[in-house]
Amino acid sequence: MGIIMISERLKATILKELKLDDYDIQDTMRADEVPGWDSLNHINVIIAVEKEYGVRFKNIEVLKLKCIGDLQKLVDSKAENKS
Amino acid sequence: MNNLIDFGKLWTLLQFDNADPLVFQSSLFLFCFILLLLVNRLTAKNKILRVSVLLLFSVFFYYKLSGSLVLLLLASALVNYSIGIGIEKGRGISKNILFYLGVAANLFLLGYFKYTNFFIEIANSTLHKSIQPVEMLIPLGISFYTFKAISYLIEVKWETMQAEKNILDFFLYYIFFANISMGPIDRAYLFLPQVKEKFRLNKNQISIAVYLIILGLIKKVVIADYLGLNFVDRVFESPTRFTGIENLLASYAYSLQLYCDFSGYTDMALGVASLLGFNLMANFNNPYKAKSIAEFWRRWHISLSSWLQDYLFKPMQLGMRSLGMLSNVIAIFITFTICGIWHGAGINFVLWGALHGILLIFGMLTAKPKDRLYTKLGIKNNWILNIFKTFITFNLITFAWILFRASSLELAKEVYMQIFTFLHIEVLPQFVKGFPVIAALIVVGYFIHFLPERFENWVKELFIKTPLPLKAVILALAIYITAQAKFADLQPFLYFQF
Repeated sequence: MGIIMISERLKATILKELKLDDYDIQDTMRADEVPGWDSLNHINVIIAVEKEYGVRFKNIEVLKLKCIGDLQKLVDSKAENKS
Repeated sequence: MNNLIDFGKLWTLLQFDNADPLVFQSSLFLFCFILLLLVNRLTAKNKILRVSVLLLFSVFFYYKLSGSLVLLLLASALVNYSIGIGIEKGRGISKNILFYLGVAANLFLLGYFKYTNFFIEIANSTLHKSIQPVEMLIPLGISFYTFKAISYLIEVKWETMQAEKNILDFFLYYIFFANISMGPIDRAYLFLPQVKEKFRLNKNQISIAVYLIILGLIKKVVIADYLGLNFVDRVFESPTRFTGIENLLASYAYSLQLYCDFSGYTDMALGVASLLGFNLMANFNNPYKAKSIAEFWRRWHISLSSWLQDYLFKPMQLGMRSLGMLSNVIAIFITFTICGIWHGAGINFVLWGALHGILLIFGMLTAKPKDRLYTKLGIKNNWILNIFKTFITFNLITFAWILFRASSLELAKEVYMQIFTFLHIEVLPQFVKGFPVIAALIVVGYFIHFLPERFENWVKELFIKTPLPLKAVILALAIYITAQAKFADLQPFLYFQF
């Protein structure tokens, strides 16, 4: 599997929701490896990403995510479908 | 020569005996396991042969635990193997039907064996009936292997992994002896790739595995069994015969006993599996160091808490996301009540789970105001505050464990009443004088638990660097100490009942 670049826009959305000044978010990281991104906050991060990109994820699409790279891929595919 | 080996005795030893399950800390297991290590090494280059040997041993191990119920385990493995492939091949509605049938079959199996008598008991007391309880043997580890199966079916359904086509590999995932009786509840997508890899074992891995086995043995036999038999069991049998301080100390001792028992088993399971070339999921991370209940659940029985989070909490939370914060509240409460029911068929377990749910919800709702207050007071990351948080969390967990340990709600009430209305703290010096070993084990046990992580890593590193002959001496010494501590019959693990 190749490296997936986490876009600045996605990173900024996540950091803003988690109230983090900066954090090096890598594609292979799991959500719980990012400070403050616990299971309770997970829903808020997902909603914030949906709002930022003006998309709506299906539940199963979110449940399938194993790492932040997967979220980037999901966002990209949704944005592609929109355009 | 004929008398050298008593084959009759050997045959009896290899047969199922309900009163004498095969546990890691028994000499029979040690003997069989050394043989298995040799055969595993000899068959290392032939994958099919190696997996077959591990499967045969796993069948024997489970037979020694549950007798003919091994057939149920094998049938369940075959059903889940077939359903997994069916889900992958299925399209649209047939895929969904097969998936839900598979999950329902696993839940039915678990429900039938574990909860039939619980429901009969409820029906009898609420409807004033007198239905006879069903006499049956509960298949050991059924809560663990059915959860393993459900996670596998879900991952295949979500298409986050492919269904396993190799029946031997799947069966090894499902019935592997190291985690069959008490977990960890390993995920197929983590375990199956390891079955396909070539067997490799370096000196470092051997050292860590031996270290884990020694640690597990000491936790289980020296701390957990000693505290359990000599103190906790006696107090929880008739709490009113003891003062509140003794009840409180027994509750603290139980928190330590349960941790040492379960994590000791897990250490041994991880060590044993590692010597055969498999990395099992981590299950514990110094749980009583947690500064909140939420953190406790990220440190305690991790393979179960992450299972509940991934396959129960998150789907519920997402399904109700339009409710905002309320979705978290409802999902937490349901998840932890089910967590309680998973642990046992009894009202105590339901209440224990619900109590954890309520504590978590309270923690979640007060997190922001508390954070603002700590920031305002300038004590947000203050070490005294952190110790205070850990102390409160630990006491809340111990308070809840009383429900978990007491064999009935009445006995739990008695323990609480003794602690809150009949404390008699002046008895403490007498207790320490009368039971110095118990007092010392509690103090030393908790002292080691609360030592900084770097100390733990330092000890591990030291053991790894120790020359091989010295390692052998340490292992022999650990076996000797545990044999000395076996003042009574071998004690099965506490989580066996779940």
